[in-house]
Amino acid sequence: MIPGAKRWLVVAIVLIAIVSAFSKQFNSYYLGIAIDVGINIILAVSLNLIMGHTGQFSLGHAGFMAVGSYTAASFTIACTKHVPESAAPFLLVGGLILGGLLAALCGLAVGVPTLRLRGDYLAIVTLGFGEIIRVVFQNMEAVGAASGLSGIPNYTNFFWSWTTAAIAAYAVAALVNSTYGRGFIAVHDDEIAASAMGINPTRYKVTAFVVGAFFAGVAGALYAHHKQTINPTGFDFMKSFEIVVMVILGGMGRTVGVIIAAILLTILPEMLRPVAEYRMIIYSLLIIVIMMARPQGLFTLRSSKGANT
Amino acid sequence: MSAPLLKLDQVTIRFGGLTAVSALDFQVNDHDLVGLIGPNGAGKTTVFNLITGVYQPTEGTIAFAGQPTAKRKPHQLTKVGIARTFQNIRLFHSLNVFDNVRAAMQVHRTHGVRQALWRGKAYRAAEKEVEDRVMDLLEIFKLGRLRNEDAKNLPYGDQRRLEIVRALATQPKLLLLDEPAAGMNPTEKAELAGLIRSIKDRFQIAVLLVEHDMQLVMNLCERITVLDYGVKIAEGTPTEIKRHPKVIEAYLGEEQIA
Ligand SMILES: Nc1ncnc2c1ncn2[C@@H]1O[C@H](COP(=O)(O)OP(=O)(O)O)[C@@H](O)[C@H]1O
Ligand SMILES: [Mg+2]
Repeated sequence: MIPGAKRWLVVAIVLIAIVSAFSKQFNSYYLGIAIDVGINIILAVSLNLIMGHTGQFSLGHAGFMAVGSYTAASFTIACTKHVPESAAPFLLVGGLILGGLLAALCGLAVGVPTLRLRGDYLAIVTLGFGEIIRVVFQNMEAVGAASGLSGIPNYTNFFWSWTTAAIAAYAVAALVNSTYGRGFIAVHDDEIAASAMGINPTRYKVTAFVVGAFFAGVAGALYAHHKQTINPTGFDFMKSFEIVVMVILGGMGRTVGVIIAAILLTILPEMLRPVAEYRMIIYSLLIIVIMMARPQGLFTLRSSKGANT
Repeated sequence: MSAPLLKLDQVTIRFGGLTAVSALDFQVNDHDLVGLIGPNGAGKTTVFNLITGVYQPTEGTIAFAGQPTAKRKPHQLTKVGIARTFQNIRLFHSLNVFDNVRAAMQVHRTHGVRQALWRGKAYRAAEKEVEDRVMDLLEIFKLGRLRNEDAKNLPYGDQRRLEIVRALATQPKLLLLDEPAAGMNPTEKAELAGLIRSIKDRFQIAVLLVEHDMQLVMNLCERITVLDYGVKIAEGTPTEIKRHPKVIEAYLGEEQIA
């Protein structure tokens, strides 16, 4: 048998496959939201590694997402005409990996020079990074500049969105819940004590940025093949902020909490659609109320990160 | 004779106009248990920070196991065998007791990102071994039953002992203890003295002890160095130190020497 944590991943993927076999019967509007939920789980879980576990306040996650999105979309658009339709899943997976890798490279590029920065300063620099990425795409004629890319094949379905979410959640949880991975939390808690225990803070911070950026890129790739059109404004500061809110509401470093927060914060704006004009106001108010009522996070039950968080 | 385990040669560090440590010569041999004492602000913690690479000396050199430590980062020095505790406890407050020690075990780990993700047979065996070693260490310090407690919720004395366990988990050759008895009651102090002695024998390591409790230092240490305003004013056996006029003068008005 497959041991331990890996077994849960396999069970999750099998369940997702079963559900997705019936996905044709679902209302396509709800199915679309379900796919959004999967994508947002990936974004939240990956930012959780950077921010929740390792304590690096990053406001540039949408930038990594954009890199993955544009990379994967350009790749599939270029290839899709030359391969039979049955090859679609392979193209998608290729796009996900390619988008993830390029985003990871950007994570490395951001992670290394910003290591000395802490707290507010890091937040500002990552925010700047996200904006630079957006502006670059906005001016890049090859990817449609301000009007963005359209005609992206509709490859992302429920199965891919949720399977990737399961893999991302597993990856972050497995990484952190190991002797190696306790180092991320140690760096977060006390950098000086961590380095006195032989933990290399630099190494851990960069690793968190690279792994986190990889999955953000993958999420961006899924997003592109779900929406079929992407443009730079979709990856602005508000998107980064949305993901940050998911991590904070989920309780910074608590995988399950962050997943629940990602689900809620994806569904909530949809439920508020009938009151269109007041939507953003109600959404923002709800977040303020929740944060004031439960500053430790919406879903924090225990006070510490035990062996199984 | 082989090189001493730790050798400070004319080590000086200045912070702006303040010379915190001045031309310090000092050495620790294998399996030594030596004390470093001095009034508050004498520079003891600064010496620890110099040895562990947190600070670089302004002048002078430090060698560990014959190798100069200059330019090496704290985590690299931990890897070659220097471990420490902190005067103002610095446990990982969001980790439980078990994981505080486990985090320190990663310095000699055999796995990284790939193995943690794949969780193969070798990885699981290694993790099991780490778990056993953590529990062994915790049991020695009677902290085993607290394994799932948050480190920050432990009583003061337990936190100090947990810091020692965590430092030992890095498998040091030299253990630096910065006022480990601070805030402990007399019973806990007596217990701690026994523990320090047994650590030294059991793990075959050298211990450098900074401690304010004179009785503890005098009872435990074979050799003592006294600092005052960053300058070494005396060095010798506990009996010699007790009678040393400069030491008595430095401590005048501070507290009685036991
Ligand atoms: N990073 C620093 N910057 C400026 N002064 C420092 C620094 N670290 C220590 N000092 C000064 O060095 C002196 C010795 O401090 P310390 O080593 O903590 O003393 P002890 O541990 O013996 O009580 C004190 O005067 C302290 O203020
Ligand atoms: Mg001190």
